[in-house]
Amino acid sequence: MREFDLARLVNKDDGLIVVRNLVKGFNGRKVLRNISLALEKGKTTAIIGPSGCGKTVLMKHLIVLERPTSGEVYFKQERIDELSEKELARIRMHFGFCFQMGALFDSLTVYENIIFPIRQHQKIGNWRAVDELVKQKLAVVGMDGYQQHFPASLSGGQQKRVALARAISLNPEVILYDEPTTGLDPIRSDVINELILKLQRELKVTSIVVTHDMNSAYKIADRIIMLHEGKVIADGDADHIRTHPHSVVQQFIRGQVGEADLAALRLGGTRFQTQYNPEDFQ
Amino acid sequence: MIETIGEKTIESIANTGRFARFLGRALNRSAVSILQPTGYGLIWAQMFTIGVRSVPVIMVTGAFVGMVLAIQAYDQLAGMGLEERLGVLINIAVVKELGPVLAAVMLAGRVGGALTAELGTMNVTEQISAVQSMGTDPIKYLVAPRFLACLILTPFLIVYADLLGILGGYFVSVIQLKINSRAYWDFSAQGVELWDLTTGILKGFFFGGAIAVISCYKGFTCREGAQGVGEACTEAFVGSFITILALNFIFAVIMKAIYTTFWPVQSLL
Repeated sequence: MREFDLARLVNKDDGLIVVRNLVKGFNGRKVLRNISLALEKGKTTAIIGPSGCGKTVLMKHLIVLERPTSGEVYFKQERIDELSEKELARIRMHFGFCFQMGALFDSLTVYENIIFPIRQHQKIGNWRAVDELVKQKLAVVGMDGYQQHFPASLSGGQQKRVALARAISLNPEVILYDEPTTGLDPIRSDVINELILKLQRELKVTSIVVTHDMNSAYKIADRIIMLHEGKVIADGDADHIRTHPHSVVQQFIRGQVGEADLAALRLGGTRFQTQYNPEDFQ
Repeated sequence: MIETIGEKTIESIANTGRFARFLGRALNRSAVSILQPTGYGLIWAQMFTIGVRSVPVIMVTGAFVGMVLAIQAYDQLAGMGLEERLGVLINIAVVKELGPVLAAVMLAGRVGGALTAELGTMNVTEQISAVQSMGTDPIKYLVAPRFLACLILTPFLIVYADLLGILGGYFVSVIQLKINSRAYWDFSAQGVELWDLTTGILKGFFFGGAIAVISCYKGFTCREGAQGVGEACTEAFVGSFITILALNFIFAVIMKAIYTTFWPVQSLL
C-alpha cells in the first residue's frame, strides 16, 4: 500500500508535472482550493471525485487550457502557467488530450482528424508515410478501415477510440484522458481501459485519467487522487483508497447515497411535491 | 440599485476589453496568415463557403432593391415631369447606400449566423479546446481564414448587389414603366460618379471585417447548450447589424469631408 502525504510541500523537480498551491475561481466561486501535486513520469494517475468537484478544471490546468487564479504549474521543471499561447504550443506538443465527448472535428474525416496535429506542426511531403502512420494509430485503437468516415457516423465508443488515436498521433509523453469511459456500456468501457493499459505498456507514456468510474480507476491507475470540493482528500494507490478512513471517500468508492441526500429525498416525499396532479394547479 | 448599475458597468467594460483583445489577436493572426502561403487552403475553403455560396442571395437582394426603388420613386418624379431622371436616383441610391448596406445585412444573416453557430457548436463540444490542446492557435486556425474571406469578398459581393440593383431598376423603369432607355442611362452616367461607386465598395472591407469578427467572437464566447448557441447567433446578428449601420454613418461623415475637400481638386491634376 502506498500513500502520499497531503500536507507535504512539492518542489518543481518532484515529478514530470508539478502543480503548486493551485487556486482557480470562476465568478468569485472557488473551484480548486490550494492544490499541490507532483505527477511521476511513466505512471498512470487517476483523479476521481463527484461531478462538479473540479477534476476536469484541474486537468485543463496541466496543459494551461485554463489559467490559474493563483499558484504554479510546471512541466519538466519549467513553469508553464505564465507562458504565452505561442510558447505553450511547444509544450502542448508533448501532450495528448482525449476529451470527454471525443471533440473530433465534425467537418473532417477520421483520417483528417488523425493527421490534424501533424499538419499543424510540419509540412507533409511523404503522404504514403502519413497514410501508414494513420493506419498504425487507428490499428492501435482497433479502428483501422474507418479512415474515410465522418465522426457523426461513428458510435460514442468509436469516437472515443478515434479521439485516442488522434491524441497519440504526435507520440506524446503524457496523455490526459477526460472521463474516457463515461457514457459507454461496460464492455466498451473495458475496451477503453485495456487501450489505456496497452498504451501505457507499449509507449511508456505518463497517463492522467479523470474519471468517476471506480472499476476503471482500480484497473488502470498506479495512483488515485480524490478531489472533494476543490481539495485533495485522498492520495495513494488502489489499496490505500479502498481502506481510506474518510467517510466521503468510502461513500464515493461504494457509490452510496449520503445522509444529507436521503434526508432531502424524505422531505420531498409528499404526494403534492412529487406527483403531477392537475387539480393542484386549478 | 447602485450596486446593479456598477456591476453592469464593470461587466460591459470587461466585455469591451475582451472583444478588443479578440479583435487585436484576429487582426494580428490574419496578417500572419497572409504571409504564410501554407494557410491559403483554409482561406480558399472559407472564400468558397462565405463568398461563392452567397452570390445568389446577394444578387436577389440587389435586384429587388433596384426594382422597389423604381416603383416607389416613379410617381414622385413623374408628378414633376422628371421621370427620365429615375435612373440617377435609383443608381446613386443603390451604389452609394442601399447596395452595400443591404448586401452587408444579408451577409450578417447568412454568413454571420453560420459562423457563430459553427464556432459556437465547436466551442460547446470542446473542439476549440481540442485545437488549442494540439498546440494550434484557434484564432489563427479558425478566425483568421474566416476574417480574411469576409474582408476580401464582401466588396466583390457588393459589386454583384450593385450590378443587379442597377439591372433591376432598369428592368422596371424601362421595360415596365416605359422610360426612355437612352435618357435613363445618360442621366445615370451624369449623376453617378466613380467616387460614389468607390466609396460603396470600400465600405465592404469594413462591413465584412466587422461581420466576421463579431460573429467569431460570439461563437468563441457562447454559453453551453442549444440555448447558448441560439442566443449567440441572435447577438451576433444584432451586433453586426448595428455595427454596419454605425460604420455606415461614420463612413458617410468621413467620406463627405474627404469628397468636399479633395474631389474638386482632382480636375486640376
